[in-house]
Order: sequence, then C-alpha cells, then structure tokens
Amino acid sequence: MKKNLNFLRQKLKSQHLLIILAIICIGLMAMTFSSGTNGSVRQVTNQFIVPFQNGVNKVGNLLGSWASGFRNVQALAAENEELKARVGDLTEENARLSQSVSELDRLEKLYALDKEYPEYTKVAAQVISKDPGNWYNRFVINKGTKDNLAVDMNVIANGGLIGIITEVGENWALVESIIDDESNISAMVASTSDTCIVSGNLSRMSSGKIDFSELRDDGNVVTEGTKIVTSSISTKFLTGLLIGYVSEVGDDSNHLTRSGTIIPAADFKNIREVLVIRELKQTRENS
Amino acid sequence: MIRKIIIFILIVACCILQTTVFALQSVTSVSPNLMIIITISIAFMQGKKEGILTGLISGLLIDFTYGTVFGFYGLLYMLVGYASGFFCQVYFDNDVKMPLILATVSDVLCNFIVYVVFFLLRGRLAFARFLTGIIIPEAVYTALMTLILYRLFYVINHALVNNQKKGRQSLWIKD
Repeated sequence: MKKNLNFLRQKLKSQHLLIILAIICIGLMAMTFSSGTNGSVRQVTNQFIVPFQNGVNKVGNLLGSWASGFRNVQALAAENEELKARVGDLTEENARLSQSVSELDRLEKLYALDKEYPEYTKVAAQVISKDPGNWYNRFVINKGTKDNLAVDMNVIANGGLIGIITEVGENWALVESIIDDESNISAMVASTSDTCIVSGNLSRMSSGKIDFSELRDDGNVVTEGTKIVTSSISTKFLTGLLIGYVSEVGDDSNHLTRSGTIIPAADFKNIREVLVIRELKQTRENS
Repeated sequence: MIRKIIIFILIVACCILQTTVFALQSVTSVSPNLMIIITISIAFMQGKKEGILTGLISGLLIDFTYGTVFGFYGLLYMLVGYASGFFCQVYFDNDVKMPLILATVSDVLCNFIVYVVFFLLRGRLAFARFLTGIIIPEAVYTALMTLILYRLFYVINHALVNNQKKGRQSLWIKD
C-alpha cells in the first residue's frame, strides 16, 4: 500500500496535480455560490488564527508605544516649559469661563432632551486584522459571541459610523466598513430626512470620500457640509448614526435626483478601537 | 516532513503578518502581498509541484479568513505557483532578479483578475483609478518586500534542502 502511494506520488505530474486541485477549487467556489455557507470553515480557521493575530498586535502596539515614548522624551521637555507658561494664562481664563458654565449646564439639559435617539449599550473592541488584499475594506475585531455580539450589529468609532458586523465567531467578528466598495446603505439628510443611498467607492479611496446617490432634494437644501445620517428605513442600521458631511453635490442627468460625495465622519485611516452597538434594529423595533 | 511543516508555518506567518502588521499601519492604505512572494519563492526554488501546493495553501488561507468566494484565491495563487514553477529551470543561486520580476508580474496579473471578476463585472469602470490607486502601489510595495523576503526564504529553504540531501525534487509530494 505504502509502495503504491509512493509510486503514485512519483508518477503524478504537476499538470495532473494542477488540474485535480483546480477542480477542487472550482468545486469550492460552486459550493459557496450554491449554498452561501462559508461560515463554518471560517469559524474553524479563525479559531486558530485569531489568537496569533491578537498576540502579534499586542506586541506591535507595545513596541510602537515604546518607540514613540523614547522619541518623545526631548520633545516633551520642551513642551513642558511651554505648557508651564500656558498654565498661568489658562488659570486666568478659567476664572472668566467658569461664569458661563452655568449657562452651558442649562443648554446641555436642553440638548439631552433634544437627542433623537437614546443611548445604546456599546462594547469596545480592538481591530486585530485586516483583509490581506487591498481591494476590500473589511476587518476583524477581537470580540465575538462571547461578548454577546451578533451579525448586523452596527460599529462606530471616533465620531461616526464605521460599518456593520457580517460574520461572527466565538472571539472574533468580521466587520464590513461603509467605505467598502460593496457596501450600500440607506441614509438620510439629518435636517430634512430626505433619503439617499450611501455607497463605498474604491476608486475614491485615496481622497477618503464615499458616494451618495438617489437623493430627492426638491428644495436644493443639500449643500457642502450638510450632515448625512443613517436612515430610519434602513433594515440593519440604527436610525440617526452620523455617517459624514456632504463634500460635493450635483444634479443627476435625470434632473430628479442628486448625487455627490461625502466625507465620512469617522477617521478610517487609523481605526484601532471601535465601539459595537449591542442593539439590533430588528429586535429594537419588535420590543 | 520537517520541510513541509516549516514551509506551512512560513505561509501561516506570512498570512498573519499581512493581515496585522502591514495592514494595520493604516486601514485604507496599501499593503504588500506576502502570500504571492512566498508562493513564487517556493515555486522558483522547488519547482511546479511545490509551487502549486504552496500557492493553493496560501490562497485557501486567504479564502478561509477573509474571502467571499471560497477557492477563488486558492485557484489564482495555485496558477501563480504553477507558472512560477516553470522558471525553476533557470534557478541556480540566490539571484533576486528573477523572483523580483515574477512577484511583480504575478501581483499585477492577480490584481487585474480580481479587478475584472469582482469590480468590472459590477460596473466599476474606472480602471485607471484602480491601476494608480491600488495595483501599481501594491506591485511596488510587493517588489520591495521581495528583495528582503526572498533572501530569507532562500536561506531557510537552502538549509532545509541541504539537511535532507535529496536534491530539489518535489519533496513535498514524494517524501
């Protein structure tokens, strides 16, 4: 038997090997298309890979902070002098400003009342790995079902919407960001509630912008700087999460709708920590 | 056997490095394609069969961790490994020019195929932007990394092959 196997291995030409394995690959592809279930294999792979990615990141972060620590010593000494001078100025200013604090308190209460959506329960997570290619903008975070995360939970970070969880495992979750080329989300203008579609566009990636289209804006109120938030008719995104601000806007050739680009509120260049909103839109509406 | 295990570990290490250290420097910028580098390095040094297997495993790792269509990258990288295996005939020492050309060309080709399959077919026609924004930067970065990594792979592979004294027939298959 063993001899047979060895014989087979020697006889097996590379072309044959290529063809056999290619058929297996094509079979896998067909399987993905027909059943759409690729989750279980990923569960198994990530079970092994995620701990390593976690470790590598911890080491990387540690080294990074050390390096920047050493670099900063001299800069810090100079900065310290400068800051001491400023403390004097600021104590003076502080006295003046404390008078207006009471006014601010009052306004803040008003603001809290005005908030369109209630506070959601959130959980912080770290980004541990990113898509190996450069074509997609998906990343893996280090929390999963263990922390009660589930598919379709919204992910936010530094001020704006980042994306949505598309797959989840025990200690990891795959997040598709809103700047991914395949992402399309239903959004609206914060002031008028006119809806539009916000979609990622890889060819605009270098300018850091994303597209919006299908905006019905009869009064032409949308201009540069208009705030765009997630829409109330979206099935997956919670209402009113900040997406970004309009950068350019123009009429479509049909003269009915308008489209343009948005600068996302979240900084996608440096995503390290994100917040996952532990509430699903569906369950929210049912309860 | 040890060789197989070490090459497998190298592939996994490349995958982890590519998704963490290189990618997380900044999430939107371009990262080098280490999986292509290891595939063409092994194929160039060891021939078609090992190229095929290295490519397949590298590709499947990408598919299993991040891929949307299973087997796509497996097939793509396997073909890269097979094609690079042809150049094994001109391999004789640690000359880095050939793997450099191989890595750059195959990186550009692979990205072009990815563009056609996943983007052009969805109606994203701005090829020039993709070319200047992703394909060329990634190719340049990959070429730079090849200069460093190929020598590393060469040293490791050389040590392992010498250890076994079996020539550079396809050990992965034969053993």
